[in-house]
Amino acid sequence: MLKAGFIGFGRMGITHYSILNSHPSVKIAAIADTSKTMRGLLAKYLEVDTFTDYQQMIQKHALDFVVISTPTDSHADVISFAIDHNLHVFAEKPLAMTPVESERLVERIGKKPLVNQVGYVNRFNEVFMEVKRLLHAGAIGEIKNFSSEMYGATVLKGSNSTWRSKRSLGGGCMYEFASHCLDLVVYLLGQPERVAGSVLKSIYSSHVEDMVTSTLIYPNGISGTINVNWSDETYRKPANIVTVFGTRGKIVADKHAYKIFLKDDLAYEGFHQGWNTRYITEFAHPVRFYVRGNEFTRQLDYFVDAILEEQSDNISGFSQAHKTDLLMSSIVADFQKSASTKISGQFIANSTRGSEPNLTLWQKIIKRIGD
Amino acid sequence: MLDRVIFGDNQFFGINHMSEEKAQALSEKFKDLQSITYVIDIAYDCGIRAFMLNSHEKSREICDHFRRNPTRYNDLVLYPSIPYAHKYANSVSEKGIFGTLKDTILADNTFADVTSLISKGGSVLFERDMIKVMQMLVDIEMKIFRDLNIKVLFLQNIVTDLMLGFGVKDVFIEFAKHLKEAHGIEPGFVTMNMPKLVDFLLDCGIDNPVVCSAINKAGYFMNPDQASYENALKEKPFRPIAMSILASGAVKPEEAVAYINRQPTIKSVVFGASSRQHIQHTKDLIEGLDH
Repeated sequence: MLKAGFIGFGRMGITHYSILNSHPSVKIAAIADTSKTMRGLLAKYLEVDTFTDYQQMIQKHALDFVVISTPTDSHADVISFAIDHNLHVFAEKPLAMTPVESERLVERIGKKPLVNQVGYVNRFNEVFMEVKRLLHAGAIGEIKNFSSEMYGATVLKGSNSTWRSKRSLGGGCMYEFASHCLDLVVYLLGQPERVAGSVLKSIYSSHVEDMVTSTLIYPNGISGTINVNWSDETYRKPANIVTVFGTRGKIVADKHAYKIFLKDDLAYEGFHQGWNTRYITEFAHPVRFYVRGNEFTRQLDYFVDAILEEQSDNISGFSQAHKTDLLMSSIVADFQKSASTKISGQFIANSTRGSEPNLTLWQKIIKRIGD
Repeated sequence: MLDRVIFGDNQFFGINHMSEEKAQALSEKFKDLQSITYVIDIAYDCGIRAFMLNSHEKSREICDHFRRNPTRYNDLVLYPSIPYAHKYANSVSEKGIFGTLKDTILADNTFADVTSLISKGGSVLFERDMIKVMQMLVDIEMKIFRDLNIKVLFLQNIVTDLMLGFGVKDVFIEFAKHLKEAHGIEPGFVTMNMPKLVDFLLDCGIDNPVVCSAINKAGYFMNPDQASYENALKEKPFRPIAMSILASGAVKPEEAVAYINRQPTIKSVVFGASSRQHIQHTKDLIEGLDH
């Protein structure tokens, strides 16, 4: 039986507790949370030890692992302490406030045989898992272009009352929403090399961004965009939409279904030429215990299995999450530089002054993007 | 006696578990009260009298419409479900969990005796008596359905399953007791984990509980697996209501009903549709179970 401690008991902590409390190999021994009200409730209704201070909890209980669902600004300290006490760690996303912090966490784990996982739950969604498999099997040929979008109706008016509206605590659309959208890109296509044309914009919030857009460029010629908006009332629940274009087809996916378009006549895994739609109902597998979505259970059961099987190479490990932290900070840096091109018509005027357009210049430009 | 056929409400709120595109199309189709009551009336004309209705904001208008037309809907039977969790989700992001609970209770004028306690001490009540808080929230949610004929009031799966994971029996026992004693209404539970929930409710001493869960040929939304569902249906003393029998469209109505037919303890089926042809056809198929 693995002994678990929880640090942070807000919305995500509660969900994780419900899922793990019913796990046959897990005993949740203690919960640390800064809210006195929450601790009072927990002490009254649950058979767990409660703490204000997570350090005391870790020192007092001989835990096997911790589940960390505190605001992001505390992650570096809390996770470091857990690693130093040789605990396996499941931490909510994003991993840390900066890529420097998250890199230190990766280094701190070093060669310790500790399972480390970050709550990028889309990696456990069966549609996105299937899309990754298809992309890597070459189903749509050589990948050229993509878009990764995430929309939700999370912030529909100005508010400053929780950590989500404060950048210094890890709030804002970038950390909360875009992190998922970017992680999905890293999961499906790997880490980009450059970012360009990034824009962070507020719609309602006074201290954080409500929208993030950017262009991601890979060394192998893939490029694509992200478009993230957490103030979009048209979505009942937060939604991710991924479109990937390849030389032989295209895939459009969300959490519930994907569509694949194949150019060729060759049947591929039962798909025919043209559009093929696959709904999650056709290939989803049930889970041990369902709360909020299959993927939430699947990610935690995967984490527990990794501990039991001493498997520290994790599909959503710290080193993966570090890549997303790097991307987020690069997008912010790109936006701060605000390098952009003013619309002027100068290029066209120069290149078409003679009778022929300047083809050499075009070729150079296309090649640069393609490289 | 539960109604054999209960008309589902997901489509009215733009909910579709299979496709976001379909969900958006539904929310456009059911953009106003008229488009919703039009379909309810079709179902009514097909002979359906039992309707599920979630405490979604839109349901206020729907229930007002029922109350305004008592002759038309005099034998209407409601199977409401509470809460509409997404209504609270954004507020939780903005104000936190306790902030949301506090504001929800303060916004209601029913609880003069406790509101001063909450506004003064803030959190005292939450620590001292979460059961009382739960009862107040139930009463607030139920106001939408006032004066209508309620057969069973369901706790939505997002809350049922979250609390099932916590395993706090008092919450379930007191919820059931509150509905029966304060409102004279039968409690029901919607779940995505039917076998586990049924065992738990029986352990809580809730006799012959009404449990609504997905039961379909595709095994969709049946956790941990279809076989455990079939066993529970065969062996446990509870009143099962089947929903998602079409698995959001993955199973054809004939096959769906044939599968339900093989589980003889299922007495009641929830289904949603929006065209007259589909409603009549599916209803006839389900009622064919009797023959």
